[in-house]
Amino acid sequence: MQVLVVDDSQIMRKIVTGALNKVGITDTLDACDGKEAVQIVSQNPDIGLVLMDWNMPNMTGLEAIKKIRASKNEVPIIMCTTEGEKEKVLEALKSGANDYLVKPFSPKDIQAKLEKYVK
Amino acid sequence: MKAEHINPFINSVSEVFKSMLNCDVKVGKVEISEPKDCDEEQYIIGMIGMSGTARGVISMKFPEETAKKAVGKFVGLEFETVDSEVIDGIGELINIVAGNAKTKFQGHSISLSLPTVVKGSVYKLKNLGKLVWLSVPFSSEVGSFSIEVSFKPVEDPVKEVENASVSR
Repeated sequence: MQVLVVDDSQIMRKIVTGALNKVGITDTLDACDGKEAVQIVSQNPDIGLVLMDWNMPNMTGLEAIKKIRASKNEVPIIMCTTEGEKEKVLEALKSGANDYLVKPFSPKDIQAKLEKYVK
Repeated sequence: MKAEHINPFINSVSEVFKSMLNCDVKVGKVEISEPKDCDEEQYIIGMIGMSGTARGVISMKFPEETAKKAVGKFVGLEFETVDSEVIDGIGELINIVAGNAKTKFQGHSISLSLPTVVKGSVYKLKNLGKLVWLSVPFSSEVGSFSIEVSFKPVEDPVKEVENASVSR
């Protein structure tokens, strides 16, 4: 399975990619904002999962999800963000996110979440 | 700034360091922050602005050695110098600490700016709103660091936005 990791923090992309490796996923792509994520998703039909940060420059994760869903792409998207309020979670889910992971998370938290989507 | 407003930030630091760095922190005495003119130590300082039903700023101030060790523990690497990854890591740490803290202010709707990270030895916090800054020192296995916070609930956010637009 190919997974796209979207985060403006280089360090956070490394941490999430490391967690993916621990659940057996080594085929990963990176994007540093929502705009790049939308482009990569449209060009790579093999992507089976997207891990999406919310607050990023150029285009937020929420805007990126809306654009991806508007293009009729149903790739599973896990929002992976510090935005932990209930209203924010509902807003993301209504906009097309499939799941939600609030930072801070432990390595166990993210691995447990990933195992639900790894085939 | 009321003393009770500092607790969500203190708790957030403890939680973030525990869950993401597997590191316990010891909290020191909360004090009113006094700017210093000169300091020999080089610091890495992450800052985030808050707006909405409360406004203010939170900053985290790390001596270089602490910054390298904290980000190293965060990502599972060792850093010999303060490079772009260390700077990026401090930005992400302050982002997570501030994001986690704002969820603890029930009844508030607070937005965060994107983080800013600066490096240097002279460090003065000042803003135009005459807000008091509170400073909290922490110690941990990765070294000592501190947070400085100004936080003020906005009594009438709508009026505040109207006034802001008139002044432009």
